[in-house]
Amino acid sequence: MNLELIKYALLNVRKRKLRSGLTVLSILIGVTAIYALVSFGVGLQNYVDVIAEQAGVDKIFLQARGIGAPGTDPNFFISKDDVEFVEKINGVQEISGLYMKTSEVKKDRQIKFVFGTGIDPDKWEFIEESFTAGVEKGRALKKGDIDKAVLGYNYQLENKIFRKPVSLGEKLEINGRKFEVVGFFEEIGNPQDDSNIYFTYGAIEDMFPEVKDKFGWAMVKANRNTEPRALAESIQEKLRKHKGQEEGKEDFFVQTFEDALQTFTNIITVLNGVLVLIALISVIVAAVNTTNTMYTAVLERTKEIGVMKAVGARNSSILHIYVVESGIVGLIGGIMGVLLGFAISSIGGAIAVQAGFSFLKPAFPIWLTSGSILFAFTVGAISGVLPAIRASKLRPVDALRYE
Amino acid sequence: MAILDFFSYSIENLRHRKLRSWLTMIGIFIGIAAVVALIGLGEGLRGAITGQFGFLGPDVLAVQASGLNFAGPPGQAVVNPLTKDLTEKIKSIPGVDIAVNRYIETGAFEFNDIQDIVFAWNVPENKERSKFEKMLNLKVSQGRLLKDGDKFKVVLGNSFTDEDRFGKPIQVGNNIIFEGKQFEVVGILEKKGSFIFDTAVIMNEDVLISEFKDDDSVNAIAIKVNDLKSIGNVKRNVEELLRKERGVKEGEEDFTVQSPESALESLDDVLFGVQLFISIIAFISLVVGGIGITNTMYTAVLERTKEIGIMKSIGARNSSIFTLFFMESGFLGFVGGLIGVAIGVALANLFAFAGRQALGSDLIKADVSLALVFGSLLFSVIVGLIAGTVPAYHASKKNPVDALRFAK
Repeated sequence: MNLELIKYALLNVRKRKLRSGLTVLSILIGVTAIYALVSFGVGLQNYVDVIAEQAGVDKIFLQARGIGAPGTDPNFFISKDDVEFVEKINGVQEISGLYMKTSEVKKDRQIKFVFGTGIDPDKWEFIEESFTAGVEKGRALKKGDIDKAVLGYNYQLENKIFRKPVSLGEKLEINGRKFEVVGFFEEIGNPQDDSNIYFTYGAIEDMFPEVKDKFGWAMVKANRNTEPRALAESIQEKLRKHKGQEEGKEDFFVQTFEDALQTFTNIITVLNGVLVLIALISVIVAAVNTTNTMYTAVLERTKEIGVMKAVGARNSSILHIYVVESGIVGLIGGIMGVLLGFAISSIGGAIAVQAGFSFLKPAFPIWLTSGSILFAFTVGAISGVLPAIRASKLRPVDALRYE
Repeated sequence: MAILDFFSYSIENLRHRKLRSWLTMIGIFIGIAAVVALIGLGEGLRGAITGQFGFLGPDVLAVQASGLNFAGPPGQAVVNPLTKDLTEKIKSIPGVDIAVNRYIETGAFEFNDIQDIVFAWNVPENKERSKFEKMLNLKVSQGRLLKDGDKFKVVLGNSFTDEDRFGKPIQVGNNIIFEGKQFEVVGILEKKGSFIFDTAVIMNEDVLISEFKDDDSVNAIAIKVNDLKSIGNVKRNVEELLRKERGVKEGEEDFTVQSPESALESLDDVLFGVQLFISIIAFISLVVGGIGITNTMYTAVLERTKEIGIMKSIGARNSSIFTLFFMESGFLGFVGGLIGVAIGVALANLFAFAGRQALGSDLIKADVSLALVFGSLLFSVIVGLIAGTVPAYHASKKNPVDALRFAK
């Protein structure tokens, strides 16, 4: 009976091509929007997960308070003394302070302002591990590289930062001095990080003597046997006592990499959720449309229902017929919506990557595809319930007499 | 047929198929309600955010060194900061009424044994003081504004009186600590609705410099011109002066001179982009609603095939039949839109209210303009009309003989 039911439903859907088509269209639009939005959300979550795994959950940030991006507020900083003190805390395997200074880069009369990061050349490998990105072309910086710099990925591209790509060995004017480009970082995946410039401590201290020993932030790595969150708390407390500050009045804060990432992910998830909710509105409208179509179908086929009942169809059979029919309309809309959503996301993702936002890469897990189709089917079936009940309740005599 | 007849015929038919008409209109009004509510909220939020910065008149220019915008307060994330000697030179440019140094100093603020990081800015001394106060429209709700010679005295923004910020409201006469120095509060500003005022510590320029500055850098220079008409000339002259002073060529400037209003445009553009994106997603539901109308109208045409045949056989013209269905469909859109706008306005205000309660932020406002209301209404009619075009066309093209013979 089940197969028969589906056949009958398909026949009816086909018979009223135009009306079914319009109903399917309205469902597919909503499913497309939701599928596309969620695929971007999932892709972003995957990106974050990969970073978390590569950078390791053993990393901890030590940052100065203050207003604005790290390293920009001259009144708040992590001093060399702080770094040296934290290094001795039990459970800390490695720590490195990073300078952050806004830098002016000039090439062919084009001026750009970017973040310059000062790295301890002796800790280069540790920093690469923490950034989950290494030098891809050329070489890393060494001690004494006072007039050399490593650039972010995007400098090698045309019309990205500068009109013309920067090449290895080229001399760039940075903050009024000539620097030789000795290497390029791998792509990190967002335009800001990929436009960073990396210097040695010596270069930053030479350019900006006033920031010597005043880091923007510091990266800490916990020992293998130490729980990072517990270590973060212990750093917070010990450094506070060391600096003679009261609780709640620290001029710094300590956060595990995982927590920082979590905050970021939470924001993204909420934003994506809001968008999906808005897209869901269109599915509700589509559901109303489906109900409407099904009411019309019941009305049109009143006589048919009467005949079926007269030859012995039970109320529940009539109910099933109409619920399945409207479920099938939803199913078709769902399948088409997933296909269209896949196409739109893929194109959108390609455009985003082109624009340097390679973290905006959609992902299409099976649960999303099957979930979307199942969802569309369910919405269709639920929309059909009220009209189906009406159909099943029709009195055979009245239905047969209906003109 | 008179236009009124068309109307009454449409309404009669819609009432006849009550359930179907309602379901169709629900589709439209959900869409319109979503669009109105989201645009209204977005508009309110955008206005509130840009309002945080847009408190200066059109006759003001702000000079800033270039750097990473939005990475911190003005003048913080720059490479080559402005210096205070420039201000003196700018003052001698004809057309400049006042030119004042703007210092922004972040620091730890302490009261009632609770600490927070805040920023302080300066008020200039002497004869520039009153002009500056007028330019920013500074007024106190308690105490008084600063005057010359007020050492270790501050005026605080209105948010410092919030009870939950420092355990108890700060009042005139209280002592507070900023960056380890004790200050007496002599005044509290009126609530301005902009964090630049409401969360600021305000002190005299000489105090700020002597206590907290160890170089000649300034965060920004604010210039007020005598006459709005000359602002373009003043801007050019200031740019020329700065190029000379800082030794940079035209086209390679490491500073900007712009009116705060034009600086706001880029922020506004970003916010507008976000708003547009959200509106487009909400708009999808309207399209779906439109499809619902088309569907309903096709059904209506089918149902009334015989009726159309009769009308045609007694002389109705194709155009009359078209108008009949076209108007009916527009009417569906109109009524749907009417209900949708009402619900949308209610929702926008409800969400804004709930948001304010939940987040305690005055930034969340709904701003449903008259243009939005009428625009949406007009739009829903247009959606209805477009959705009805093809079914109405089909109806008008029916062959009377076939239509009369049509059996349901």
